[in-house]
Amino acid sequence: MAEEESQFEEFEQIDFLGDRHVRFFQRTLQVLPERYASLETTRLTIIFFALSGLDVLDALDVIDRNTMIEWIYSLQVLPTEDQANLSRCGFRGSSHIGIPYSTKGPGVLHPYDSGHVAMTYTGLCSLLILGDDLSRVNKQACLAGLRALQLEDGSFYAVPEGSENDIRFIYCAASICYILDDWSGMDIQKAIEYIRGSLSYDSGFGQGAGRESHGGWTYCAIASLCLMGRLEEALSQRELDRIRRWCIMRQQSGFHGRPNKPVDTCYSFWVGATLELLDVFQYTNFDKNRRFILSTQDRLVGGFAKWPDSHPDPLHAYLGLKVHPALNITQRAFQHVQQLQQTWRGSTGSCSRHLCTFAISK
Amino acid sequence: MHGRVKVKSTAQQEEEKRKEREKKLKVYLAARDACFSKRKEGIWDEGALQVTQQLLSSNPDFGTLWNYRRETLMHLETVRDEDEVQKIYEAELSFLESCLKVNPKSYGSWHHRGWVSNRLPRPDWARELGLCDRCLSLDDRNFHCWDYRRVVVKMSGVPVDQELAFTDRLIGSNFSNYSSWHYRSTLLPLLHPESPEEPAPPPRRASSSPPPSPQSRSHRVCEEQLLKEYELVQNAFFTDPNDQSAWFYYRWLLGRAEREEIISCMFVSREEERVSVAFSRAVNSAGLLLVLDGQPQRVEWRSVHPRFKHSPVWICDLAPGTISDVTNEHNLTVHWMEKHTHRDCALYTGRTESWCRDSATDQELFRSDLSVEKTSVLQSELQSCNQLRELEPLNKWCLLTIILLMRALDPLGYEKETLAHFQTLEVSRAKTRPLDAEQEVGSLTSSFSFFLFSPSRQEVDSMRSAYYGDLCSKFMIENTILKMEYAEVRVFSISDKSLTTLCHLDQLLLVTHINLSSNQLHRLPPQFAMLQCLEVLEANNNSIENLEGVYHLPKLEEVLLKNNKISTLADLEPLASCPKLKRLDLRGNPVTQVANVEAELTALLPSVVDLLL
Repeated sequence: MAEEESQFEEFEQIDFLGDRHVRFFQRTLQVLPERYASLETTRLTIIFFALSGLDVLDALDVIDRNTMIEWIYSLQVLPTEDQANLSRCGFRGSSHIGIPYSTKGPGVLHPYDSGHVAMTYTGLCSLLILGDDLSRVNKQACLAGLRALQLEDGSFYAVPEGSENDIRFIYCAASICYILDDWSGMDIQKAIEYIRGSLSYDSGFGQGAGRESHGGWTYCAIASLCLMGRLEEALSQRELDRIRRWCIMRQQSGFHGRPNKPVDTCYSFWVGATLELLDVFQYTNFDKNRRFILSTQDRLVGGFAKWPDSHPDPLHAYLGLKVHPALNITQRAFQHVQQLQQTWRGSTGSCSRHLCTFAISK
Repeated sequence: MHGRVKVKSTAQQEEEKRKEREKKLKVYLAARDACFSKRKEGIWDEGALQVTQQLLSSNPDFGTLWNYRRETLMHLETVRDEDEVQKIYEAELSFLESCLKVNPKSYGSWHHRGWVSNRLPRPDWARELGLCDRCLSLDDRNFHCWDYRRVVVKMSGVPVDQELAFTDRLIGSNFSNYSSWHYRSTLLPLLHPESPEEPAPPPRRASSSPPPSPQSRSHRVCEEQLLKEYELVQNAFFTDPNDQSAWFYYRWLLGRAEREEIISCMFVSREEERVSVAFSRAVNSAGLLLVLDGQPQRVEWRSVHPRFKHSPVWICDLAPGTISDVTNEHNLTVHWMEKHTHRDCALYTGRTESWCRDSATDQELFRSDLSVEKTSVLQSELQSCNQLRELEPLNKWCLLTIILLMRALDPLGYEKETLAHFQTLEVSRAKTRPLDAEQEVGSLTSSFSFFLFSPSRQEVDSMRSAYYGDLCSKFMIENTILKMEYAEVRVFSISDKSLTTLCHLDQLLLVTHINLSSNQLHRLPPQFAMLQCLEVLEANNNSIENLEGVYHLPKLEEVLLKNNKISTLADLEPLASCPKLKRLDLRGNPVTQVANVEAELTALLPSVVDLLL
């Protein structure tokens, strides 16, 4: 009986349950279910999903910004007195290594403490979202830590001790350089070569050369080139048209990430944002996409799931909402970073054409 | 985090689960702390391996622990003999297998396995390939596994033809295997390259041009093998025409290398003392040199619109008096240094302008996207696809491929059929305007088969109708460019063709008259400013609200924009940059209702003497 009723309810209206999502993100920031335990090492990314989600929903007031800002700064891997660890600086994912809590330097030397490129990226974004001016970020240390992660072939490791290396971390690096307004953090030309080398026979991007095309890696490639301001230099018109075609064919109702795979909420962002950066989002069927996303909405606890009738999680909950396509933050947060950059430079910011012309209203 | 399905459970089950979780948590914390204290003390022994093993079994994404494990293993390499090290690493591989069983998509586990395989004194590559086979049999789209397999193949020197045979088997049992087709695309060019001895690529310099793409020459496949591949892939799409895999692969097989990079057109005008140059792709202005009568000129190159740092069309102005005297003959050359290419243009006595260009036909510009195949091969491919279309008249992949092949063979000859196929793809397009009698007959006969199958007009792929609308617009523009060339005129007329977008504007540098009337255009984008020779712009009966591209067009005299959507005076500002504008027709636009519009426009556009509101 209960099941029939709830199905009937769903039939009546597929509406957007803003309040439930706010509460979902609030809970994400407080306590997570046990099955998330393995994500402890990447906790900062979960926080980012929740914070940016609340930002999109215009509900950041439900949290204590200052406490949150302090906690994020406590994750910064700062240089030690003698600066011996400069190439390991950045932000860490959480306190799981056991470094004593501190929001100011000098850093503490620990053999296994280092920044992680995705944590540095989400850490900086989170601070921006909370309205922080990044004045306590040790920019030079972050950039030194970033340089240490780039390989000869242009891709990046996630951590200085080594890890897998691929196009995801190029995106993180490009975002970091963009936010800090300082491209000395990476060798752009090498990164572009790696990106181009990842272009597959069907004009999607793989994680690296010879690897299968995928919506997520295509996003990383295109967004990185946009952030660098090199999209039309790095790719010819013909290549861009073919990439557009590959992306457009990902829409089934919502989007999938690869041919012959089921649709998944998060690809509405990865592929949708790519299409927007390539100026052809108007080729998609907005209505079908929206209906699919709303069908993955959890009407009880809030949030969005990967598929209908699955558990919602912060990543899909966040990517089901709409944000700035290149930096993956709200327009408000994006404007904040532009203003900051103006004060740093003392002149008008000069972002690439693709980033300036977005006027996404919520 | 991904894809957990909801399962309902009773209160008792919940309680049992909770107790178990608490126990697990205690164990986890104890192990973690033991681990870190060991590491801190610099202890790298089997005990360390044991402790990290416990933790990694439940959380394979704890990167730091894999690092600690690697350090321990490396240390043990130095203090144990080779046989013992071999055993330790084999145990490691078993451990990793159990991790992968729990989570076959863990980056940490796969990365570590690659690391171990690299260090093993006596690696067993057959075992590794076996692992990959088992993993892929459970999930043939697991890219972690595919990537690892590629690494194993490389490290163990498995011959390419063996791997190709592997993909044969996979594809043979399941044509839908996109990952296999992908892998095949990387193997084929290695095994059957287009030319047996590839010349070494030129040394790379810091330049503005993109490095060669994977679809460029050196990765193409030789023709004999291509024909075999066509057969293979046709089997696939005849078996299941709705599966994307085969079609994308087929498209790649039919694909084409990037065309030669050249200066496609050069135009010189005495009146403006200006040189306009069009390139085969967008460039920046560094590395362009203008030589006049043997003398290099100091000029400032500018793109047609301030928005473009990168543009296929560049302009420069010569010093006043340089070429204005019509009794003088001049020889001009533009050098594109990076590509070691140049273009000459002679400006003759008595002539006020001159140009030099490669025609679109010569460049095979619009037989785009297909390799230089023999026509007969393309014809036979078209025949096969048409056979399939009779069986599956509503299959979008089939229709798109047929369109592609027709454009490759004879863009103008197949124009009517192409339009009909586009109508099948996105019926909404046909709804917006009535077909004229001639086209109606054409479309009915070619779409006759689908009328048989469906009583009402069915949409093949209405979700992408906007995309098809633009794609069809592009093809119509290409055909109009070809027709213009055959007629040897500088008039570009493409009215009443449901155009939704403009493209190839870099090909229209020489056009003096353009007629875009009765289409569905919303704007004349900044690229429109590439029409540097334009004198008359006719664009009545569209939905134009943006005129950004009507910008600094030096010869423009007439602009006809009746029945569009221009609504504010600001929209008309770009026109003020066109010094020769005499006639402007704005009837039927919302802007005509603006207060005081006539006076405002007279002030904004003083050169206009014939203003129609």
